[in-house]
Amino acid sequence: MDGILKAFPPNDFALLWVILVLPLIGAFVNGIFGKRLGKSAVTLMALIAVGVPFLASVVTYFVLIAGGGHGSTGDAHAATKLYVKGWEWMSLSLAQNAGTVSLDVAFSIDALSGTMALVVTGVGFLIHLYSTKYMADDPGYHRFFAYLNLFIFSMLVLILGDNLPVLFVGWEGVGLCSYLLIGFWFHEDKNAQAGRKAFITNRIGDFGLLVAMALLVYYGGRLDWTGIASGAGQLLTPIDLTQGVGRPVQFVLEWLGLRYVSAASLIGIFIFIGCAGKSAQMPLYVWLPDAMAGPTPVSALIHAATMVTAGVYLVCRMAPVYVLSPAAMFTVAFVGAFTALFSATIAFAQRDIKKVLAYSTVSQLGFMFLGAGVGAFTAGFYHVLTHAFFKACLFLGAGSVIHSMHARVHDADASQDMRYMGGLRRHMPLTHVTFIVSCAAIVGFPLTSGFFSKDEILFKAFTSSVQLPAAIAKMKVGVTEIQITQWPTWGNPVLFTMAVAAAVMTAFYMTRLAVGIFYGDFRGWRIVEGYREAEAHGDAHGSAIHGNDSHGAVLATALDSHSSTEDDAPTHAVHHGPAAGMELEGPKPQESPWQMTLPLVVLGALALLGGIFNATALFHFTPLEHFLEPVFEGLENIVIRHDAEELEVPLLAPGILAFAIGVGSALWVYVAKKGKPAEAFVGQFPGLYSLVFDKWRIDELYQETVIGALEILADISVWFDKWIVDGIIARLSAFAVAALGASLRLFQSGKVHAYASLIVVGLLGVGWHFSAPHARLALQSDVANGHFMLSASEGYGYGYRWDENGDGKYESEKFGTRTSVSFDLKWAEARNVTLQVVNALGRVTETTVRVERPREDLSRTVSRIDVYDDGKGGKRAAIRQPGVGQAEQPNLPTNQRAPSPVGAAPGQGNRQ
Amino acid sequence: MNQLGLLADHYLLLATSIFAIGAIGFLTRRNLLAQLMSIELMLNATNLTFVTFNRLHVGNMNGQVFAFFVIAIAAAEVAVGLAIVLGFFRLRNSVHSDDADTLRH
Repeated sequence: MDGILKAFPPNDFALLWVILVLPLIGAFVNGIFGKRLGKSAVTLMALIAVGVPFLASVVTYFVLIAGGGHGSTGDAHAATKLYVKGWEWMSLSLAQNAGTVSLDVAFSIDALSGTMALVVTGVGFLIHLYSTKYMADDPGYHRFFAYLNLFIFSMLVLILGDNLPVLFVGWEGVGLCSYLLIGFWFHEDKNAQAGRKAFITNRIGDFGLLVAMALLVYYGGRLDWTGIASGAGQLLTPIDLTQGVGRPVQFVLEWLGLRYVSAASLIGIFIFIGCAGKSAQMPLYVWLPDAMAGPTPVSALIHAATMVTAGVYLVCRMAPVYVLSPAAMFTVAFVGAFTALFSATIAFAQRDIKKVLAYSTVSQLGFMFLGAGVGAFTAGFYHVLTHAFFKACLFLGAGSVIHSMHARVHDADASQDMRYMGGLRRHMPLTHVTFIVSCAAIVGFPLTSGFFSKDEILFKAFTSSVQLPAAIAKMKVGVTEIQITQWPTWGNPVLFTMAVAAAVMTAFYMTRLAVGIFYGDFRGWRIVEGYREAEAHGDAHGSAIHGNDSHGAVLATALDSHSSTEDDAPTHAVHHGPAAGMELEGPKPQESPWQMTLPLVVLGALALLGGIFNATALFHFTPLEHFLEPVFEGLENIVIRHDAEELEVPLLAPGILAFAIGVGSALWVYVAKKGKPAEAFVGQFPGLYSLVFDKWRIDELYQETVIGALEILADISVWFDKWIVDGIIARLSAFAVAALGASLRLFQSGKVHAYASLIVVGLLGVGWHFSAPHARLALQSDVANGHFMLSASEGYGYGYRWDENGDGKYESEKFGTRTSVSFDLKWAEARNVTLQVVNALGRVTETTVRVERPREDLSRTVSRIDVYDDGKGGKRAAIRQPGVGQAEQPNLPTNQRAPSPVGAAPGQGNRQ
Repeated sequence: MNQLGLLADHYLLLATSIFAIGAIGFLTRRNLLAQLMSIELMLNATNLTFVTFNRLHVGNMNGQVFAFFVIAIAAAEVAVGLAIVLGFFRLRNSVHSDDADTLRH
């Protein structure tokens, strides 16, 4: 450790660059050169780009565990955090506290982000390895790994960023990669649409995060983690929500008692909007189930293990802000619990195994937010960790199943449909074992990882809350004091009940899933053409898992309609056409290669044994909690019930009971009774069943309200664009230009002589201009003495006649050769002089100038005294008058020559 | 006005007349060969003007030099012009200048 710390001091921990930059290089190389490099080179690059950062993360993790250079900095806080600064990104000047905030591109790693980085690179590496086989036959192999590496890079920027803006860059980056990977098979419109849905829904959340950032920098003054923690105290200032809104809104807000809220609450809520988008919570969860359109490793990596937990990470990161606001915390907890419950109900009725896992993910994310929301940040984060293991394993197991099913049915949808599986444990033993282990973890089988993390959340949901002490639970607005909303007293029991109900349901539908895939008889033998039509005609909303008998009837309908569908799917007819009508013996489902099973085994083992990281219940063995302590230390206001210790063992019962009831009833329904009770239930409540099967029609609700409103807005914009922009602005100006062009085109006759005559006309015009005489006069003046001379410019064959004295008559009627006139003027006298010029062609022109001698300047009566020799051996002094001496005359025309000194002959100043 | 100046007037009048004849010929005739000849007339009228003025300005030979220059240019112009006329004749089987209107269409 010392060697590492010598090479990388804690405040300049350059090893982080290795972790960060390698995936970026991998993305670049695979993205730009991947096609030429070939498959094995792409594989190597992609694995190195994640594997080496994983090793570096492990090293970093050990540095952190060792307490990271206690002695070297002498600062206890810095010791638990390794930091590296890239460069200054921008500097904001704040009106609020008249200071500037410098935002750096800086990265840091502490216990929280270190654990996260380990999960991202570790699970990421396993999934990369898995993908090398899963995607082996895909033409977009290099593209896939470029995206995957880019995702790892963005995710690492997200968790290692030392301030919110850098985190936001990663946040958007993972959103982009998620979009790219969901729509990876974009040739199918369904997939591209799912990608867009994910991106747009995330953008709505990102808007909340942006607002939160602006509020945070405005009220708290800093955006880096240390600064947020230290500046959190200022966030108990009230914000008047009625500022700048209309009267009706103001009225409603005041009626709701929401006129003033604390900055901490507002920031907390807006951050949570961002988290709800990224982590698929109500009401923004709708994108995650659709995101299953992407390749299964993507679902495992992005939509189960890493990206979707970014929201939980951010809430944990923002803990110093959240603990100041019971209202925001309760919102987080309640939304989490409600999402857990709500999405679990949807998972009941899904047939697509990935959809079941997707809703299960949404539900588990709800558990995490519930944990974080009640102030048990460690419990919430621990569930992130265990969930990453068991859910990644479940998804990869599902991928393994789909992979082998696809080899048989060649249809993306059918290979994910539970109705055609069953009994796969005989064909895929390794996948089966790991899947069951992970299932045990997620349903909370005692002593598995999921048991510990979920139990801790349930326990904390009952016992922990966030309460502000009365002393600081009020804000001052003017002279009045406003109470800050406190944690509701009914909060904990309600949250706990919802969580337990969700846990029961989780156990039920996960058991249903496992039974449906791996037990019973393999129903996939009979997959033939036309099963879609069978669904449409006969069994639109039948029970997810049928007994064999009813299924056979459905398939019989399918076979009848086979001939009519042959045209629709000619390629499939090649596979199955000849054998239609009887049970098919296609390729058997096979166990996947080691690249796919190794990750399963590793993740399955972690899912089973992950409890050792934080076995709070029963064992009180909590290395993770201890490790995370520095991150969450100093958080006040988290109140644990006084009888929590006594409640610990009794509260284990609901968790274990939830597991037992859920699993037991599912086994009874689907194994003992072969699904009959489920069918009976569906028969009894068809309306309810179809509602749940259609996911409570939330998508349709959004379609009608939000999207519908947007579409109306779009229609209005289209109208404006069509009639105003295109119609008036574009068409009208285009018409004006066209009209001008049409009129100019008339001149283009194409006849040479017409052009030539135009040349002649032009020449005549030029000739006329040049044959005109020019009467130009130049003035020479001697203002001091009153002498002026006007001279005319010369030209070929010019004759001149003058009106010199300004009487309006020319001195001689004949044109002569005299080119200049001279005259004298008194002070302040003016005269008009007219000249007429005739040239050799007889054309005449004339010009008149007014010559004026200004008023005598008497302002400087004495300008200077000259002393000179009088020629008689003595000296004399003479006073020079202005206008007669050589003193400067500021008001004279510029072309005046210098006045001659006294005694000079008059007229000498005239220049010839 | 000296004797030379009086002479110059006559020369200039002659040059102007020749130029006018050339210009009118160029404008009124439609035969390309006739138009080329008209251009030659105008160029020669210019030459005459040049040498006349050269005579007026004693000791300055710019006008003479320009006259030779114009002769050289005129020769080149005729060479190119005749080539164009030939090419045009091959293309359109005509030497009528109104037929050269491809660019318009």
